[in-house]
Amino acid sequence: MFQNTKCECGHQNPVGTVLCEACGKPLGELEKSSEVLEMRYDGAARRSQRANPNWIDSIWNFFSSVKVAVVLILLTLLGSTLGTIFPQENTFINIDASVYYKDTYGTPGEIYYKLGLSHTYESWWFITLLVMIGASLVICSLDRVLPLYKALSKQKIRKHLQFLTRQRVVYQGEIQEDGEQWVQNAVPFFKKKGYRVYTDGTALLAEKQRFSRWGPYVIHIGLIIFLLATLARTLPGFNMDEHEAFPEGDIKKIPNTSLYVKNEKFTVEFYSEDEMPSEFRKIGKVLPKLYETKAVLYECAAYCNDPSKTPVLKEVARHNIRVNDPLNYKGLKLYQYDYDLTPILRSVSPTLVNKKTGEEYGKFKLEMRGTKRSFELGPYTLQLLEKYMDFTLDENGQPASKTPNPNAPAFLFLMKGPDLPASGVKYIYFPKQVDKERFQQDAINKQLGGLQTNLELDVKSMEDVDFSTATSYLNIRYDRAMPFVWIGAAIVMLGLVIGFYWQHRRVWLRIDGEKLTLGAHTNKNWFGFRREIAAILNKMNIEADEKSLNNGGDKA
Amino acid sequence: MSKSSRRTIQILILIAIVILGGYAIGSAVLGSDGKLEAGDKSPSFALLGTDGAVHKLEDYKGKALVINFFGTWCEPCVKEMPALQSEADKWKDQGVAVIGINAGEDQMTVENFVDGLGIKFPILLDEDKDAINAYHVVPLPTTIFVKPDGRISAIHLGQLDLQTLDSQIAQLVKQ
Repeated sequence: MFQNTKCECGHQNPVGTVLCEACGKPLGELEKSSEVLEMRYDGAARRSQRANPNWIDSIWNFFSSVKVAVVLILLTLLGSTLGTIFPQENTFINIDASVYYKDTYGTPGEIYYKLGLSHTYESWWFITLLVMIGASLVICSLDRVLPLYKALSKQKIRKHLQFLTRQRVVYQGEIQEDGEQWVQNAVPFFKKKGYRVYTDGTALLAEKQRFSRWGPYVIHIGLIIFLLATLARTLPGFNMDEHEAFPEGDIKKIPNTSLYVKNEKFTVEFYSEDEMPSEFRKIGKVLPKLYETKAVLYECAAYCNDPSKTPVLKEVARHNIRVNDPLNYKGLKLYQYDYDLTPILRSVSPTLVNKKTGEEYGKFKLEMRGTKRSFELGPYTLQLLEKYMDFTLDENGQPASKTPNPNAPAFLFLMKGPDLPASGVKYIYFPKQVDKERFQQDAINKQLGGLQTNLELDVKSMEDVDFSTATSYLNIRYDRAMPFVWIGAAIVMLGLVIGFYWQHRRVWLRIDGEKLTLGAHTNKNWFGFRREIAAILNKMNIEADEKSLNNGGDKA
Repeated sequence: MSKSSRRTIQILILIAIVILGGYAIGSAVLGSDGKLEAGDKSPSFALLGTDGAVHKLEDYKGKALVINFFGTWCEPCVKEMPALQSEADKWKDQGVAVIGINAGEDQMTVENFVDGLGIKFPILLDEDKDAINAYHVVPLPTTIFVKPDGRISAIHLGQLDLQTLDSQIAQLVKQ
């Protein structure tokens, strides 16, 4: 459709302009009506409004639409809501999602899983919605802020009469004085109210708090930073969320870092019987009151990437980690997550004795991990041939280990020394008494030929047994994107304050002969605005009632 | 601002949105929660071998690589070891290297295992489970086939028999 966009004042306006960019005269159909003017973007055309839009303009136009933005936001809201019906997959550490939802929630759970709602926030359609909202934010803002900025920074002081009479706040009346003089006299009264005043002969423009108009765009910038930060979380190295087991007394490396954690001591305190409600007491429920890990964080100082050497560690932080009280080191946080009170055998220190004579030949430390291969005990040498952490016999009747965990450790030695054959005697040793009986240590040793020697490994007291009494599970997390999320949120807050706390107020005034015409516009608090104008007019000896200034309009 | 520069900015912004959005959506579609897949780059590692030397992924650059993650206590791992050894011998001269990475056990356990089964190809210790984590290995055994360019061509979970292993390696060499 061909549209003549040239205003009668001679200004050539872009397609889509509602109010002439120069004089403010309503254009096109609008000229014939007498309704209050729509002042959005000061009547300027949005960037993407073009006479012959090509495909880029079409994309631009699509994302520029507020209607589209509202639909996108509603869809995202709906999607986010769906994601809260059942717990998301990533809130569990170790589940088989394909059966978990069906087993726990029945058919609805199965449908939920099959629809992919168990990972709503990582699904392609949810991310697509977020990306589209992001695009909409950028394009919406640019499409409007630039024309608005241009319109506001190049305002003509003398506006078309229709532009003034079709504002929501209007005053018309006769004056006796000379027009130019009257305008000059009015200036100080506007200034006193904090307006910036511009005059052009018999025309005046008073304006204040224009920056309030940038509030929404500041909010958009904040939201874009927010979205980019959440996007950055998916980049490698930006985000970590791991769960690790830390047996008491061990130093363990945090994966993908040069940091090590030592669980020095884990303590747990339970509610005593009389502290618990009777319902719990009846079923014999055990409830932890407090659990705490005394954790030390080390950073590798040397030989970090050389596996042939032992890394040199330097203590960097120390904290007693409790629920909701994590260890925090440069944004890396260790949260108390869970615990396991199953003791884990770390080492035993058996003594070699002669059963008959009771003679002792010395004690040695037998570690479960990093075990030494030979031991000297008085005249005897013990060479460790095999070790089994979780002793069992495989299908061929051969000794094997079921798991790598020291649940039922067994050690096979070759003993050499006085009264023993030169080739030595094999001797199997189970440190745990239960295993000794279960696997019949004596019977095996009889077969191996070691029993006749009367030599035996024996743990003399509980002091010779070293247990890790508890394993603490810590959740290790850092989120390098978090500061940007906060910055984005802070900018959003700033934008909200700018946009909502202040109001952009403008007053246009022109005198044609003896006739004074005043039109005024603000974006909120019309009531206060009318009162302010009435007060200024009163100072100029014009009786104007606040209410009489009201020219209609829905919210005026 | 002239019309043409305005158009340029418009196009630049659209390109930025397409790239960022494409990355976000793409990683949502393809990124199977950080798991390793065929086509991915093989993560690097530096581990101590039972031979006392440090082995790095880069040392095997230009070679087709078969990485077998195993535990000495895991029965299927033990069972497939002879097949791995015979394949290692068979393909040695054709630019194929076979290595085994032990999942977190101590030196003595692994050494006994290697000696007991007569394994000749390099066996590496991963006591801190660095490589296990980097390769997101869950079940044992897991065998990863890496092309000479360092990209993963296939991941096999569970025990391998000689035929499957042979055809996988043959495929790897062909590529």
